[in-house]
Amino acid sequence: MNLQLTLATRYLGGRKLRTFLTTLAIVIGVMVIFGVGIYLPSFTAAFEKSLLSASGQTDVMITHKTGESFSATMLNRVKAVSGVAVIGGSLERIINLPPNFYGKNSTISALALVGIDPSVAPELHEYRITQGRFLKAGDGNVAIISERLADTLGVKLNDAIKLPTTQGVVRLQIVGLIPGRAAVSNEQVIITLAQAQKLLDAPGRVNVIEANLTTKEKTESDAIVNAIKAQLGNTYTLGGLTSGSEFLGAMQMGQIIFNLFGFLTLAMGGFIIFNTFRTIVAERRHDIGMLRAIGANRATIVGFVLTEGLVQGILGTAIGIGLGYLLGVLITTGTSAVIKNIMNIEMSPVVEPSLVIVSIVLGVGVTLFAGLLPALSASRVQPLEAIRPSLGETMQRISRVGTIIGAVMIAIALAGLLVGNFALVALGGFLFLIGLVLIAPALVKPIANWFGGLLAIIFAREGTGELAQGNLTRQPGRAAITAGATMIGLAIVVGAGGMMFSLTGTVMNMFYKSMGSDYLLVPPSIAIWKGDVGASETLKAKIASIPGVGAVNSLRYAQSSLQSAAIKGAGEAAISVLGINPVEYSKMSGMDFQQGNAPDAYNALARDERNAIVNGILAATANLKVGDLMPLATPSGEHQYRIVAIGSDVLSMKINTAYISQTNMKLDFNKSEDIFYQVNLAPGADTATADQWLNQIVADYPQFRLVIGHEYAAEFRAQYDSIFIGFYVLLGVLAFPSLIAILNTLAIGVIERTREIGMLRAIGATRGQVWRTIVAEALLLAAIGTAFGILAGLYLSYVFVEGIGATGIYKMEYVFPFAGVLAATAVGLIFGVIAALFPARQASQMEIIRALRYE
Amino acid sequence: MSLIQTENLTKVYGAGETAITALDHANLNVNAGEFVAVMGPSGCGKSTLLHLLGGLDRPTQGSVSIDGQPLAKLSDDALSQMRRRKIGFVFQFFNLIPILTSVENAALPLLLDGTSPGKAKQKASEWLTKIGLGERLKSRPDQLSAGQQQRVAIARALITDPVLVLADEPTGNLDTKSSDEIAGLLKQIAREWNRAVLMVTHDPRIAAYAECIVLMRDGKIVEDKHNG
Repeated sequence: MNLQLTLATRYLGGRKLRTFLTTLAIVIGVMVIFGVGIYLPSFTAAFEKSLLSASGQTDVMITHKTGESFSATMLNRVKAVSGVAVIGGSLERIINLPPNFYGKNSTISALALVGIDPSVAPELHEYRITQGRFLKAGDGNVAIISERLADTLGVKLNDAIKLPTTQGVVRLQIVGLIPGRAAVSNEQVIITLAQAQKLLDAPGRVNVIEANLTTKEKTESDAIVNAIKAQLGNTYTLGGLTSGSEFLGAMQMGQIIFNLFGFLTLAMGGFIIFNTFRTIVAERRHDIGMLRAIGANRATIVGFVLTEGLVQGILGTAIGIGLGYLLGVLITTGTSAVIKNIMNIEMSPVVEPSLVIVSIVLGVGVTLFAGLLPALSASRVQPLEAIRPSLGETMQRISRVGTIIGAVMIAIALAGLLVGNFALVALGGFLFLIGLVLIAPALVKPIANWFGGLLAIIFAREGTGELAQGNLTRQPGRAAITAGATMIGLAIVVGAGGMMFSLTGTVMNMFYKSMGSDYLLVPPSIAIWKGDVGASETLKAKIASIPGVGAVNSLRYAQSSLQSAAIKGAGEAAISVLGINPVEYSKMSGMDFQQGNAPDAYNALARDERNAIVNGILAATANLKVGDLMPLATPSGEHQYRIVAIGSDVLSMKINTAYISQTNMKLDFNKSEDIFYQVNLAPGADTATADQWLNQIVADYPQFRLVIGHEYAAEFRAQYDSIFIGFYVLLGVLAFPSLIAILNTLAIGVIERTREIGMLRAIGATRGQVWRTIVAEALLLAAIGTAFGILAGLYLSYVFVEGIGATGIYKMEYVFPFAGVLAATAVGLIFGVIAALFPARQASQMEIIRALRYE
Repeated sequence: MSLIQTENLTKVYGAGETAITALDHANLNVNAGEFVAVMGPSGCGKSTLLHLLGGLDRPTQGSVSIDGQPLAKLSDDALSQMRRRKIGFVFQFFNLIPILTSVENAALPLLLDGTSPGKAKQKASEWLTKIGLGERLKSRPDQLSAGQQQRVAIARALITDPVLVLADEPTGNLDTKSSDEIAGLLKQIAREWNRAVLMVTHDPRIAAYAECIVLMRDGKIVEDKHNG
């Protein structure tokens, strides 16, 4: 082993506790980045699996841009293109299954119902029948499934499987089995196209056209594909079905916020490493001086310090990645129940190679970067310091330039907040933090004086309070760095706490507003509607006829897309279209309006015109205002909808959504399937009877879960809280490294002042007095860090809430995080005392003679 | 030509009214194989002289040459190399790295110079054995007596075969018996191994081991006499 490595490992091994604590800072930072980084890909993978259409084994696969069904006559237009050999249309639909639909032990949460034309399908795909027969024209409620699905469901040939449809539950007899596919998508239940059109309430319609061409040669086949495109126009897509890209966008936004926290933690780790290396260099001035005296040059000394950093960085990153994986698994499995409940998808942890690389680069990079300045300062240690005692540090000058730059940064940050521009507000968050770090040294003295006054009262008559205050103010830079690390730690707690309180408050308010009915009929997924199987209009009529029911409101869903130059990237965004009955909706539900108002908006939707309410996300994405015309892609062509208001409800919180009338939805999207219901009882109605009737009717439609409004709200709240409890624990972990920062600064102070402490003891200070001086110093440091942390945290959370407001996505109410501030104060001060215990003991236990001789 | 040559070597700390002349136009020549003791009261400039000779500090005026090489012209890196290869240091407080064993401490200058760890340690073991520490090769400084620690420091000073060994109060922290052993060892280094040894000491009894005593007062060399 070379000298650098030997020294690094021995020094690290010689100070196990400190090595452990410092490395912990890196471990925690990397752990958060890695753990959170696992979550989104896991979610995405599960999400895509859930929505993935059948894999395209054919040469050409055509779908409508919206993903909705279209008239089967389109087949003729494609068939007319020369070069098309075989062509077939199918109607495919993901069917989200209600929990335990196939018994308690069933692991299947969704199936793909695929209606094919038995006469041409075998020419397009291979259906290797292992038992039974293939489908034939005129088949009714019969299906082919894979052997694997049959095994999973415990059924055999000629048995029946049940499936929820818009017409209620149907039973399909299994007439053939095919081998299981090694595809990631959902298991398929294959029936005839005619039967699928009947069950899915889509007569004469298909949503996928597949074709094989007469040639496989690339240039020729490209020409045929172009001819097909020309024939179909731009409302059709050649390729797979669109999956809910709009939702993934929202998830990515979430990951950016989490990554920001991870990065802040690493930055805090950087501060700690920086402080630790300063301690190390201070401690080893004699060793370094000796090495210089016996011929080590400056580069060698820099190498020594950085090697130590490298060893710690690698170690910390490796452990961080390991623990991060566990964290990722924990979050994924911890939230999978909730995600399954809301969106009906199953998650398992996915680690992307890029995440590993980013984690390593950040973990090791931050350590090395933080070690660089102390390493350079070590290289400036003169060889003479090996021989003669150091003079001790005198008062440190405060950099005026730093203070001024810091003040300017804070001013810009505050100005950004007033202007309300999102980019400025986000940048302001960083500027505010860095500004505080820069301005901190200048603030140390006044704050220390102020808190010193408090301490003087506590430690009256001893003078230890003043001594502690003096110790801090003579090294304002170091005190500021420690306070900086504490600040970042607590800023994360207060900031994230503030965001969560505000978010919870906003979401719950919206929830009560839009879901405040007596009963709800909830489909398996309420965030991504695509896989939900609704019910035909008969169900609504049945519910309305129940004695005691006063009003019924339903939602319908269709997919669409919007082309606009204002949309970044592709210039096109996928959107969810929700069909409402404006009269019923306004009575039983509600939105938060950012532009326009409720009566005008609902009246406009009720008129015989193409009017729409869009949510904040969509308005921000496509830069839409009230009065604008919005070209919506529909299966019947593009239609212009006029925007009458901008408003959101809890169901459309994260996804591009447009609300139109159910009349227009039927007209343009050919959809009349209800996917969500709200039911109110008439005043004085017999609840028990109504309850019994509702349960009886809904039993035929197991895709819906009948829930009582206030119970559902409580359930939603509980799920929401269960996610956030984990989040709060994570925040606590993030704050922990600030403890190490205070500990390090105190330790370095004790080491540097060894002789001074010896002198104090020699002239009569008791051990208790020395102990209390150090503890008082710690309390002062913690108080400064806590004050800064709370300030920065409040700013961060306010920035978040305002930033979201500035994008025009939601109107969020800022909820002042009183609990967060109190918790941060308590945590900050308790950390201060805990961090002081070890150095205070070390100082008070010092042997006077040795301390006086210490150089 | 002498191994150490100084010409009007002067060091002034501070400036203006607070300026202190620690070394005042000192001229000194020391040859290979010579053992010189520098004595004088506290603050007379003997340590300053030693620091300037070792290239640990730069003179305000005058020059130092070691083995014909003027130190003033050397860059920091070249000076580091000179200290590594031509000069050995022995300090009052030993200055051993607490986490390294005797062998590792003694091998440091060679390792810094790029010698392979195996060779460096072998040579360190040979020197340690030569000066009577063959049994304590694997001990760490806290497992050694003060005298033994100083021997390790001497082995470290000798390992690169330097032409000059500079010792700053090498017995200042030792008991009488150990002091005598160390002084005897330094004498042996000069006589038997033909190195120039310059030792700063307060102790006349230890100075008596040297063949030449340089007396200093107020930054000036006042006497330069050969023993016996």
